[in-house]
Amino acid sequence: MNMNLSLLSQSGPAQTTDYMIAGYAVIIGLMAVYLISIWLRKRSLMRQWEMLEAIQDKDK
Amino acid sequence: METKPKLLKYLDGLTLILFLIAIWMVLFYAPTEAVMGNVQRVFYFHVAAGWVGMLGFLVAAVVGVLYLRSGKRKYDIVGVAAVEVGLVFAFINIVSGSIWARPIWNTWWTWDPRLTTATVMELIYAAYLMLRQGIDDADRRARFGAVYVLLGFASVPLTFLSARLFRTIHPIVIGTNQSGSMGQFDMAPKMLQAFLFSLLTFTFIFVDILWHRVRLGLFAEKIEERKIKLGEEG
Repeated sequence: MNMNLSLLSQSGPAQTTDYMIAGYAVIIGLMAVYLISIWLRKRSLMRQWEMLEAIQDKDK
Repeated sequence: METKPKLLKYLDGLTLILFLIAIWMVLFYAPTEAVMGNVQRVFYFHVAAGWVGMLGFLVAAVVGVLYLRSGKRKYDIVGVAAVEVGLVFAFINIVSGSIWARPIWNTWWTWDPRLTTATVMELIYAAYLMLRQGIDDADRRARFGAVYVLLGFASVPLTFLSARLFRTIHPIVIGTNQSGSMGQFDMAPKMLQAFLFSLLTFTFIFVDILWHRVRLGLFAEKIEERKIKLGEEG
C-alpha cells in the first residue's frame, strides 16, 4: 500500500469531490436504512398488538 | 405502543434541524483542505459516527452493570438498543473511512492497527446480537448480554488508543500525530467549528435514535408478556 504520491506534487487541492459525494451518500443512506428498519419493526409490532387485542376481544 | 412523549417530539425536530445545519457546515462553511480536496469533508461525519459507535458501546456497558446489580429487564432492553445503534454508526465510520482512504492512501482497505481494531470491535458487537438469538430464557439471555458487553467493552478503548499506541498510518487529527500517518492535516478554525458541531449533532442523533429504539424494545417486551398471558388464559 502506497500513499497517493500525486497528492504531493499537485498545485491545488486534489479533485476528490466524487469520493466526498460517495462518502456522504453512504453515511446518510445507511442512517436512512436504519431509521426505516426501526419504523418497519414498529409497524410489524403494532400489527401484532392489534391481532392480540382482537384475539382477547374474541375470547370475551 | 404508548404515544410519543412531547420531549421526544421536540428532540426529533431539534435533531433534524441540527443535522441540516451540520450538513451545511461541513459542505459549505468549512474550507476545502489544501491537499486532499473535498474528500477531507468526509472526516467530520466519519469521526462523529465513530464517536456515536463508541458511545453506544459505553452506554451498553453501563446498563450491563446496572442490570447485573438490579436484575431489571429494562436495562437489558436499553443495552440491546445501545449496541444496535452503536453497531450501525461504527459501520458507517468504517465504510466512510474506507471511501476517504481510496484517494488518500491509494487503497480502499489496509490492515492498519486502527482499522483492524475497529473491525474487531464491530465484529464483537455483531456477535453479541447473534449470540443472544440462541438463548431462549430471557433472564439468562439478559445476564449473558450484560457480561458480554462488559467484556466486549475492552475493544473500545483499544480501538480509540490504537492509533496512539501502535505504529499506524491512520491520522490523529486531535493531539500529536505520528510521522508515519498519511492524510494528516491542521484544522483551520472553521474546520474545528464544523467538527465540534458535527460531534454535538451526532450526540443528539444518538440520544434521539436510542430513545426510539428503546421504546421499540419496551413495546416488543409488552407484546411478549401479552402473548404469554393469553397463552396461560387459553
